[in-house]
Amino acid sequence: MKTRSNDWLVGLTIVITMGLIVAATLFLQQSELGRKRDTATARFRDVGSLQVGNAVVIRGVSAGRVTQIALAPKGWVVVAMELDRATTLPVDPVVLLQASSLFGEWQAMITSRAAVPVNRDVVAQVEDALDAPTGALPGAVLPDIAQLTTVAGGIAGNVASVAERVRTAFNDTAALELRTSIRNFSVLSGDLARAVRAQSRNLDSLALTARVGLADVAASSAALRRTMQRVDTATSTGALEEILAESRVASRNLRLATERFETLSQALAASEANLRGAIGKADTVLGRIERGEGSIGLLVNDPRLYRNADSLLVELRTLVVDVRRDPKRYFSVRVF
Amino acid sequence: MLEIIGRAARESLESFGAAGKLTAEAVRSARDVRTWWPNLTLQARQLGVDSLPIGTLIALFTGVVLALLASYSFTGAVPRYLVGTLVQKTVMMELAPVLTGLALAGRVGANIAAELGTMRVTEQIDALETLSYDPVAYLVVPRVIAGVMMFPVVVGVAMFVGLGAGWAASLGLLDLSSTEFLKGARLFFDLFDVRYGLVKAASFGFAVSLLGCVNGLRARGGAQGVGSAATHAVVQSAIMILVLDAFWAVVWLLGRTP
Repeated sequence: MKTRSNDWLVGLTIVITMGLIVAATLFLQQSELGRKRDTATARFRDVGSLQVGNAVVIRGVSAGRVTQIALAPKGWVVVAMELDRATTLPVDPVVLLQASSLFGEWQAMITSRAAVPVNRDVVAQVEDALDAPTGALPGAVLPDIAQLTTVAGGIAGNVASVAERVRTAFNDTAALELRTSIRNFSVLSGDLARAVRAQSRNLDSLALTARVGLADVAASSAALRRTMQRVDTATSTGALEEILAESRVASRNLRLATERFETLSQALAASEANLRGAIGKADTVLGRIERGEGSIGLLVNDPRLYRNADSLLVELRTLVVDVRRDPKRYFSVRVF
Repeated sequence: MLEIIGRAARESLESFGAAGKLTAEAVRSARDVRTWWPNLTLQARQLGVDSLPIGTLIALFTGVVLALLASYSFTGAVPRYLVGTLVQKTVMMELAPVLTGLALAGRVGANIAAELGTMRVTEQIDALETLSYDPVAYLVVPRVIAGVMMFPVVVGVAMFVGLGAGWAASLGLLDLSSTEFLKGARLFFDLFDVRYGLVKAASFGFAVSLLGCVNGLRARGGAQGVGSAATHAVVQSAIMILVLDAFWAVVWLLGRTP
């Protein structure tokens, strides 16, 4: 009886303790038994300090948790997430891993691709992960506070280095030289001011000239615009086509006239040749006449011939008169 | 002086040697199930169930103190919900196993050593051997198995109670909401924390019960010898718990990332 009592008590203790441990574990792991969830996966090149159990957040609201982180081929890390069944993912979803506090807590934030922060590295990560297999969301890791402080530390170190160099370089000699430089700079500034004033006057004059020139250009532009409008009007009413047609006819007439003129020129050249031949012959005849050759030459150069001929003509005229007066004296007509 | 140091070293080595020898005998005698099985639940009750009050009490105060200590330490920029994180991690991975183990080292180790020592000096063990009983199978094996089996049970209850006490203290004594405490407790919780604490507790149970048996069986010379055996059992068990605690930390925590 005692043994059975011990058995019962020990068994009860073990069962209750196991129940307590299991219940506490499930409670701390936020396991929700019986509640159905959707799953989603995303892939990253690096997951930072993300751990299994970290929250999945959509627009700042907890919507699930990370259930698995595993290495994948080709340098990828695949993160599996459980999401509440009622959760609706944003359009074109992207998973961003980021620190949720300054104490190492991370979370996976699902957002739309358009809402990805404008950061060259983050955008490059997202684009790198875009060709993910079906069902896997592209992911990127936002720089955490440690990286930012590391960068800030580097900047602070550089500033300190520069400050140290300035301190080393800025001794009494440097101060004296700096004072001299400032004085020279003051003189230079005065010269510069004077030059600027002079150039300002020149610039004013130039501006005036330019203004006048611009007015002329404007007037010319207006005239040109009017001309163009006229041209446009002429073009639009068909006058230009008429002018071109008339020009075409005039050109044809001009071509015909030119051809005729050419023919005339050729005829004139032939006439000129004939004339030159005739003149040559006349010259020859006149030469012979002048030299007293031939009948005409003799007639021209020998006055006797002229007088004989003249007396012959007188006698002929007398003969003609006599014939008219008495034809029968000279003519006898007989039949048989 | 040198003689004292040399004697202490020899006795320590003898104790560890005897423990190793007894371990080998216990493994061999474990095959005699009919001998040790009837005593198992009795020992489980004495070592485990009867130790629950002390384990619970220790965990209760430990959880409260931890919450107050964390609240006192976390000032300035440190968020107060990390009180929950500290209580959960510390109770589950360290304080519940170690403090409960030390408490049970005193209670269980002394109990076993005194009981077996008394049997030894009153020659009851010799009588068992005369009756062809294997004293290791009859006395040692059920105690060691009960220790390995029930220490995790007591430590598990201590974990639960310690976490609950820290939670209650955060709500009642600190300006911390339940949501904040649970956020911190859940933030870095890992199933490994529970596994680590329970495995450590099992190893502590093995060490405490075995060393109690070793010292009890080696008791000589009447009541003084029994008292000395009980003292040795408690001291050696406490040392062994700390050694095992460091051992598990080096073996299991070193190089592990959460």
